[in-house]
Amino acid sequence: METLNLLAVGFSVALTPLNIALLLLGCFSGTLIGALPGLGPVNGVAILIPLTFAFGFDATSSLILLSAVYFGCMYGGRISSILLNIPGDEPAVMTTLDGFPMSQQGRAADALAISGVASFVGATIAVIGLSMFAPLLARAAIYFGPADYFALYIMAFATIGGVAGVDPRKTLLSALIGLMIATVGIDPISGIPRFTDGNYHLYDGIEPIVALVGLFAISEILMMLGSRAGEATRAVRIDSWLPDFRSILATRWAMLRGSLIGFVAGVLPGAGASLGSVMSYSMEKQASDKHGTFGKGDPRGVAAPEAGNNAASGGALIPMLSLGVPGSGTTAVMLAMLISLNVQPGPLLFERQPELVWGLVASLYMANIALLVLNLPMIGLFTRLMAVPTWALMPIVAAVSFVGVFSISNSTFDLQVMIAFGILGYLLRKFDISLVPLVLGLLLGGDMERNLRRAMSISDGDWSILIASPISVTLYVLTAGFLALSVWLALRDHRREKERALLD
Amino acid sequence: MSIRLAGAAIFMVAAVYTWFGSGYSAPFGDVLGPSVFTLIVGIPTMLLSASLVAFPSGQTDWPDKSGWLRQGAALAILFGYAATLKGLGFPIATFFLIALLGITLGGKPVKSLILGAVMSLFLWALFDQVLGLPLAFLGAYFGGR
Repeated sequence: METLNLLAVGFSVALTPLNIALLLLGCFSGTLIGALPGLGPVNGVAILIPLTFAFGFDATSSLILLSAVYFGCMYGGRISSILLNIPGDEPAVMTTLDGFPMSQQGRAADALAISGVASFVGATIAVIGLSMFAPLLARAAIYFGPADYFALYIMAFATIGGVAGVDPRKTLLSALIGLMIATVGIDPISGIPRFTDGNYHLYDGIEPIVALVGLFAISEILMMLGSRAGEATRAVRIDSWLPDFRSILATRWAMLRGSLIGFVAGVLPGAGASLGSVMSYSMEKQASDKHGTFGKGDPRGVAAPEAGNNAASGGALIPMLSLGVPGSGTTAVMLAMLISLNVQPGPLLFERQPELVWGLVASLYMANIALLVLNLPMIGLFTRLMAVPTWALMPIVAAVSFVGVFSISNSTFDLQVMIAFGILGYLLRKFDISLVPLVLGLLLGGDMERNLRRAMSISDGDWSILIASPISVTLYVLTAGFLALSVWLALRDHRREKERALLD
Repeated sequence: MSIRLAGAAIFMVAAVYTWFGSGYSAPFGDVLGPSVFTLIVGIPTMLLSASLVAFPSGQTDWPDKSGWLRQGAALAILFGYAATLKGLGFPIATFFLIALLGITLGGKPVKSLILGAVMSLFLWALFDQVLGLPLAFLGAYFGGR
């Protein structure tokens, strides 16, 4: 009951004209950003953050705008997957497997409608889960002391890379580089400038937003220039936009299964939307692929991953809001915005600023409805806008990034810092070093150090306080188990690769 | 090979970082002081990057020569924009930014110039006039702000 009352408060916050306008704007531009190949949720949100600062929106309105963009990207990513066979963003990769074959068979309208409805189902289930579980987690997190937070941050860095694929050393290195950058500037406790080389521009430290826009937007431009300028891709021609509603209804169980799996994947640290859609697709394939139709245009193969990635993106908001520890790249970028607006996410956020949390939740319910409308009847508009070529799109992205960063401080020094971070981001991506842990380190570094020093002041310099509480011990054990698992997986992959190399 | 070089570069940065970090001390105040956390960060960074030098993983495929040229040109354009934005004013600097980047990305020169002209004025009107972010129309070179 309490949740419903709080939700009512949330709707009264969300239903102001400004917030509704921002919500609709966010949904529209999010869908477009998601649909354009090369621009994903992380870039989209990173470019928009400085602009929300410049316009002086309060934290609630900024968060509503960015979350609408985030959700919109998740809806929009599927459009180019289905029509062009190019995923609009990373989580939409799985949608190409059955979505593109469907549109080749002339069922593009069905595929778009099924994936639109699946996105709606997944995202709505995730928002319901968010309203139920986030307050519970926040209530538990109130018992965290400084030493426990230190342990939690360590766990966040160790797990953000996820289990699969990359070398865990690279993930940790990325987080450590972020922490190194976070210590630049005046030490807030002793007042001593660190690593500034006497440059007064650096006394305030590196503004995370400036670094983020460089890391994501500028490095993306450099990536595109490095690979051969893309050959033009032609969208599949569509004669009718009217879907067959029976085919949507036939995928309802796939949608539900996909949503639940995706939601769990989203809440877990280090998984995020990409893993959510991969897991949903492979589980659905195991459950329903009786006649070998998956991969050849099976509607359930479109419904499950789309429900999964949208549910995961909603689920990823839970650890970000209730613990202050984001579970995915885009939520990390949103955390950057909250910290820059002097809002510290975490358990206290639910007590001190319930209107922010519940305003956001309420607007997410509304965003889903707006996105369903945008993505079903108005789908034709987006397919036309999607045809903007890269050579025209990326320069505009660069210009908007510059405007946003310049408007934070009116200093061209920040522009140079942004470009430098673009080069850094490009190099790290080339070395397969994920940027998300770096962002997390940059964001949480200050807080991590403060919690460590607070804990040590409490114990008067006795290091054993770090493992004095059952919460921190549990977190360290989980971290160690996770690291052991990912090292084991990496070694196994390495061995398999070697065996394959010997066979060839 | 690239990974080893990257590991070595990160190692050097981390070593310098740790060296400077260990030198900071506060005369009074908190128990831990400003240098311990930098050591907690710097030393594992050195160890991990050293292990990348010894046991590199993954491969890097660098762009070909024309790719390097395009990237170099783009960086020159971006840094040039940062250097001349206050001097030229927003619309003129942005015109060069968009037009030149468009050409670098493989757009037709005439189309890129038109895009630059239209978008620089559009963005200036949108941000300065409609949305109220102050952006100088003419820069310091022309006696503007």
